[in-house]
Amino acid sequence: MLDQDIKYLKFKTYLNTYCPYCHQSFNVEKKDNKQLIFKAVFKGEETNLILSPYLDVFEAESNLNIEAGEVLDDILCPACKKSLISKETCCGECNSPVGEIIISALSRLIPFFICLKKDCEWHGLTKSDERKIKLKIPRQDMPEQDKTLRVHNHQEVPYGYTSELASLEAGRCLQCKIPKCVEGCPVNVDIPAFIKYMRENDFDGAAKKIKERNVLPAVCGRVCPQESQCEAKCILGVKDTPVAIGRLERFVADYERKMDLVKVPVIKNKNNKRIAVVGSGPGGLTVAADMALLGYSVTVFEALHELGGVLTYGIPEFRLPKSIVQFEINYLKELGVRFELNHVIGNILTIDELKQHFDAVYIGVGAGLPVFMGIEGESLGNVFSSNEYLTRMNLMKAYRFPEYDTPMPRGNKVVVVGGGNVAMDCARTAIRTGSTEVTIVYRRSRHELPARLEEVHHAEQEGIKFKLLTNPIRYIGTDYNSIKGVECNQMELGEPDSSGRRRPIPIKDSNFIIDCDLAIIAVGTGPNPIIFNTSPDLKRNKWGYIDANEETMETSMPNVYAGGDIVTGSATVILAMGAGRTAANTMHKQLSNK
Amino acid sequence: MKEFASINDILDFAIIQEQEAVEFYTNLASRMKIEAMRIVFNEFAQEEMKHKAKIIDIKEKGIYLVSSEKISDLKISDYLVKADLGREMTYQEALVLAMNKEKAAFKLYMGLSERAPNAELKSLFLMLAQEESKHKLRFEIEYDDMVLKEN
Repeated sequence: MLDQDIKYLKFKTYLNTYCPYCHQSFNVEKKDNKQLIFKAVFKGEETNLILSPYLDVFEAESNLNIEAGEVLDDILCPACKKSLISKETCCGECNSPVGEIIISALSRLIPFFICLKKDCEWHGLTKSDERKIKLKIPRQDMPEQDKTLRVHNHQEVPYGYTSELASLEAGRCLQCKIPKCVEGCPVNVDIPAFIKYMRENDFDGAAKKIKERNVLPAVCGRVCPQESQCEAKCILGVKDTPVAIGRLERFVADYERKMDLVKVPVIKNKNNKRIAVVGSGPGGLTVAADMALLGYSVTVFEALHELGGVLTYGIPEFRLPKSIVQFEINYLKELGVRFELNHVIGNILTIDELKQHFDAVYIGVGAGLPVFMGIEGESLGNVFSSNEYLTRMNLMKAYRFPEYDTPMPRGNKVVVVGGGNVAMDCARTAIRTGSTEVTIVYRRSRHELPARLEEVHHAEQEGIKFKLLTNPIRYIGTDYNSIKGVECNQMELGEPDSSGRRRPIPIKDSNFIIDCDLAIIAVGTGPNPIIFNTSPDLKRNKWGYIDANEETMETSMPNVYAGGDIVTGSATVILAMGAGRTAANTMHKQLSNK
Repeated sequence: MKEFASINDILDFAIIQEQEAVEFYTNLASRMKIEAMRIVFNEFAQEEMKHKAKIIDIKEKGIYLVSSEKISDLKISDYLVKADLGREMTYQEALVLAMNKEKAAFKLYMGLSERAPNAELKSLFLMLAQEESKHKLRFEIEYDDMVLKEN
């Protein structure tokens, strides 16, 4: 009947116990190492409850009188008053309700099944139950800045996990033998392995495990679309919510940074071969780190006056603090990577000239050219591309004018066109810089919004309005050629076409005008042509992106590789990093004749 | 609007239109900087050649079918600023130009169908209009997928 292996849970050091809902501590001084004592509200009064390792003994350490045979009603968290018991089955011995007490302790949510009848011999947990129980541990939310406060500042919105929350979330991982999550990660981080370290409270070990595959964990933990990558493959997600892999990654990277545990590896086997990397975005940084670790001498050429590419000029401070980007770049500097700022390759030096001085060249310049819809009025005053708007705000720190010299584009009523992460970033920046009304105009429905759900959620929390199934057809100007409104069509989704996609179609005579004094166009980006003006031999596709071999990232020019947005069009940070890793592998093979 | 005396007159007109389209896309291809873009417009030119051959076939055999297939109209070209044929054009500009050309051809055939004196002529014009709307849709989808990617 009783499974003796499971019955004796080894709780020798239950020093910290927490409510799984509000995360308040239940801590009670430990009596001995075979009893778990915790605070709870029982029969309306706060008291200490004791669970013995036998699981079937349940006592109150108070004046409460629990009589033999009495069926207990409920046990509540003293802080949030949520029930700590789920009564789902009946005791096989006495037919009384069986409660599952869930409290968090150490790195796990510890479930205890007990019969709620005093003195009942309860027949407990089986091994198969243990697996089911893990499914019941709720996915842990990240604490974040209050929505009413954060719209007045540019500080990061989520605070990140505490070590307790991180441990609790890590406890949800099933440690699959064939982990699908790793397949979902474009740089194949060994996710179960780093989580295993976390479960053993070895956060430093976890950080090192991640860094074996990912040189920018603090960045990826914040901006990667985990919900469509590693977390989309998590087996827990089939019936419940997946393990919050991204949040764990972020925690581990932040922990390592805050505790000053980053160790720069000593690079042995240095060779005398030189690598040029054009662009210091996530892909370029990955190539640079990988090649530096392999002993190559790496120089990164950045066109702007600050490093980081889209991480610096594109993603706002409240989503990715620039100090974190800087920290990750400093790690590369300590690896010996050289950085040359203000170098616009294509103007200052051509790719051919770089090839004369370097053994291989990687092009990771991103897709920084604004794309406009091609409708009337796009050249009116106060109509911005998202590229210009975000570059002014993030790179040039316009929101800190006059401390910084860049004037801030500002409007009371702002319209942002587009539904991607860039559109969310623009809208949320606008609301933080004093705009009274910010509206996102998107021509498909909510279901098709390309932005991450988390970003849409945050935008809505901050008061951004969404005009869905709405398409701008004309910007209307004042007498002095500044924008005063956007004429839009109401749209509907048509029948699925041969690709299965339902395309938006305007509804006849549905035109209406949205008043605004600032419009930001965030419908996408294209390839900047500068580098190609002096490299006509670099083969490109019809949209102007570099035609590179997906398996090797080789281009049509010998010893020239490319990856990231300049190959795929605008995509994600981690995909750019994946391309960088592939290119580095190919480069190394070819340069070392392996 | 043009007047036609017979079906053969219409078909001759359509053949000229298709030949002009062949030349238009060949010309457009020559203005593209990137080889992949040139290939795209040369392919369109070849498709127009096929359309021309199809109409010649109809003229010779006297058989044509009007499909009941409904062609979507995304109406993207309705609100885009017109692009002019330039010495060097981006792919986006070339698409706008091509969409507007196909839209004009569609409108022409639709207008002729409304003025057709009999049902036979009307259905022939509708068939030709449908072909043009398919062309326009193809360009609109390309524009929709790439230019309006995040909208």
